[in-house]
Amino acid sequence: MGRCSFCVRWSYGGILCPNCAGALEAWKKEFRVCLLCGRLMSKDISLELCPRCLEEKPPFRLARAVGPYRGLLKDVILEFKYKGRRSLYKPLGYLLAQVVAAEPLFGKPHVIIPVPLARERLKQRAFNQAELLAREVGRLLGLKVVEHILLKERDTTPQAGLSRKERWANLKDIFTLEAPSLIKGQDVLLVDDVLTTGATATACTIVLLQAGARSVSVATLATGVF
Amino acid sequence: MIPSQNKIFCWQGYLYFFVLGGRLKVGFSHRPGLDRGFWEARGARSFELLSPQLNLGVAHFLVKNIYSRGLDQRLSPHQLKCRLEALGRRFGLSFYFQPADPPLPSPPEEELKLVREILSGRLLFLEEVERALEENGIKIGSSLPDLLHYLYLQGECELWPAVAFNDQGLPFCQRCGGREKLFKARCGACGSQFCYVCEDCLELGEARSCRALYARAEWKRNLKQYIRPHFLFPLHPAQREAYERVAEFVTQGREPRCLVWAVCGAGKTEVACGAIAAALSQGREVLYASPRREVVKEIYPRLKEAFPGIRIAALHGETSLKFPPAELVVATVHQVLRFYQRFDLVILDEVDAFPLTGDSRLYYALERCRRAYGQVLYLTATPPPKLVIEARRNTLPVVYLPARYHGYPLPEPELFVLRNFKAQGRLPFPLQKFFQLSLVADRAQVMVFVPTVELVQDTVSWLRSFFGAEGEKCVQGCYAASPEREEVLTSFRRGAFPVLVTTTVMERGVTLPRLNVLVLFADHRHVFDENTLIQLAGRAGRSSEYPRARVGFVARKISPEMAKALETIRWFNCMAREKGYLKSYI
Repeated sequence: MGRCSFCVRWSYGGILCPNCAGALEAWKKEFRVCLLCGRLMSKDISLELCPRCLEEKPPFRLARAVGPYRGLLKDVILEFKYKGRRSLYKPLGYLLAQVVAAEPLFGKPHVIIPVPLARERLKQRAFNQAELLAREVGRLLGLKVVEHILLKERDTTPQAGLSRKERWANLKDIFTLEAPSLIKGQDVLLVDDVLTTGATATACTIVLLQAGARSVSVATLATGVF
Repeated sequence: MIPSQNKIFCWQGYLYFFVLGGRLKVGFSHRPGLDRGFWEARGARSFELLSPQLNLGVAHFLVKNIYSRGLDQRLSPHQLKCRLEALGRRFGLSFYFQPADPPLPSPPEEELKLVREILSGRLLFLEEVERALEENGIKIGSSLPDLLHYLYLQGECELWPAVAFNDQGLPFCQRCGGREKLFKARCGACGSQFCYVCEDCLELGEARSCRALYARAEWKRNLKQYIRPHFLFPLHPAQREAYERVAEFVTQGREPRCLVWAVCGAGKTEVACGAIAAALSQGREVLYASPRREVVKEIYPRLKEAFPGIRIAALHGETSLKFPPAELVVATVHQVLRFYQRFDLVILDEVDAFPLTGDSRLYYALERCRRAYGQVLYLTATPPPKLVIEARRNTLPVVYLPARYHGYPLPEPELFVLRNFKAQGRLPFPLQKFFQLSLVADRAQVMVFVPTVELVQDTVSWLRSFFGAEGEKCVQGCYAASPEREEVLTSFRRGAFPVLVTTTVMERGVTLPRLNVLVLFADHRHVFDENTLIQLAGRAGRSSEYPRARVGFVARKISPEMAKALETIRWFNCMAREKGYLKSYI
């Protein structure tokens, strides 16, 4: 018996109590997943791909998330990312690892790379949430984690609150890769906290593919809803 | 240049040493030129720096330990370097000399004075000092980190890492005293692997090894003046006696602590005003701390009314001004973490309540906010066992307040022993009678307490089945996390429905004029301990309109806690009767 990692109530098994586990799974009754970008669509929409992917396929092979960026998951991510409760990396990393393990299309990536923060933002926040998540996922799935090779050259306006067009413009030529030999010919799993428009994931994927990665798939804690 | 409000100041600096009066001294600084200027003005020579850059936690540990182990004056710089490396081995450090920065002039004295005053009685991060300056309309032109560091050099303030290392190299939080929830990972701000973050006090901002806390004890005293609180109603004799006794406790100043053991609804706040008035009259500063924001919001206007000429500040999570000047501060316990040796009198309301109970961090903060010879006054209806033991041993003076302001005795709980009462298919006769008397005869409302959240809905459904078609209108339930909690409570307070089923979240702070209390599964010892049962019973009979309220404890058997709660309530009634504080119902 231990305490639930989210609500701190006593629970009999697992890292989450039945209430929190149920809250995280509740979206499955309401939404279906875009097979490509992993964003959520109402079950009324019978298409396999979301309108955005139908319009233009993203460069990454696939993306999946633990759930939508709302409710309990959103509260916990905010606590983790903005309040700095770093210890949440463990239960969140576990949930993310479960998503990767449960989706056969991920296969077995060779290497995990976290989405970087720019130096100034890293100094300000004092930690990169994607790095902590990536390490935990790597530890649980027995995958190699490569940090500090995908770099963000400069700080940008925080993506939160920008329109889709503004996000794309925000991220132009932002990411660079050092030591491309580490990912040449490899299947890369890119890890981040939230995927909304996919602009960040796309920008990182392009850089990784240009450097010779065989494929890039994306795992995030939360994703957007159409 | 003052750092932007959006940036957090990460303390990174260097160790340095110099010789002064033939003695070797070691220090640390984020701007060594400032220290060089300071010490050379006092005759220091041979000022040298040691690289690499360290975060404040590591630098502070090294300097503290090198002094505690004795700094031999005959040490050469190289030997000193080796000593530091030995101490720093756990951090994987090796040092090398580097040229010292040129000396810098001291900051302007007027600005030092302004910052010193704003910091008095407080323990703050740099950003909080900045905010305090802004709230008080003070502008400074020099670098705030430099000003604060210079005050530290002058001995006018203390400089601590927010998370420091003890002599054994183990981390602990200097802001909240926490030692358990310390998270270690490579810090993106200072780049060190040995930068710990305290997750216990995150709600007040991040405490890390590379963040500096600046602390300064409050030195000044206010002018003495005669202060007499203004009350809307005269004090009841029981309140008057307690009022005089707590005023005497403060005036004489002989005892460091005192317990006011009052029954629920006795009017403790008015009694505390006696101690507050006595302290303010002596030019002292007072803190009234409560574990709950609702209590701070409720007490603040009452104290403002009682002490119209005094500056009073309310501090809780929702207040926008965090650093107002005030002689009397009403704050939640978490806000107290920002004070340092400021108060001569600390009043702890509901000392037995969460988050104080079993939370040594908050006791640590409450001790730290008190001046060296400051006094503490505990207010509660249900003191924790530790205080009860001290009271019985006469090591803690106690002021009893055994009667309510209206002068009627406390309702004594009736104990109903009922086995499997829910499985009987009908409302057991004792409970039928209880509800009939409450709802029909007395026209009172009933709060039904159950031990767990899961039982709330179950009990609501069960009770509704006995009210027929009106069941849904008559019986509602709520608990701490229920989304409609506020709406249900507001409706209940308005009298929209007569029966509310809830958990112990409502054990305090609820006052309704005609209210009876029923506790189901009262023998659930993990939830219903003696103090909780007393608090629950204390919801009933608080108003003079309906002092003879009913309280029932329903259980499979009478637990020791139920028996002790009843005994304590009877003991207070007996004490009040003996002292002549009670009216009869006739």
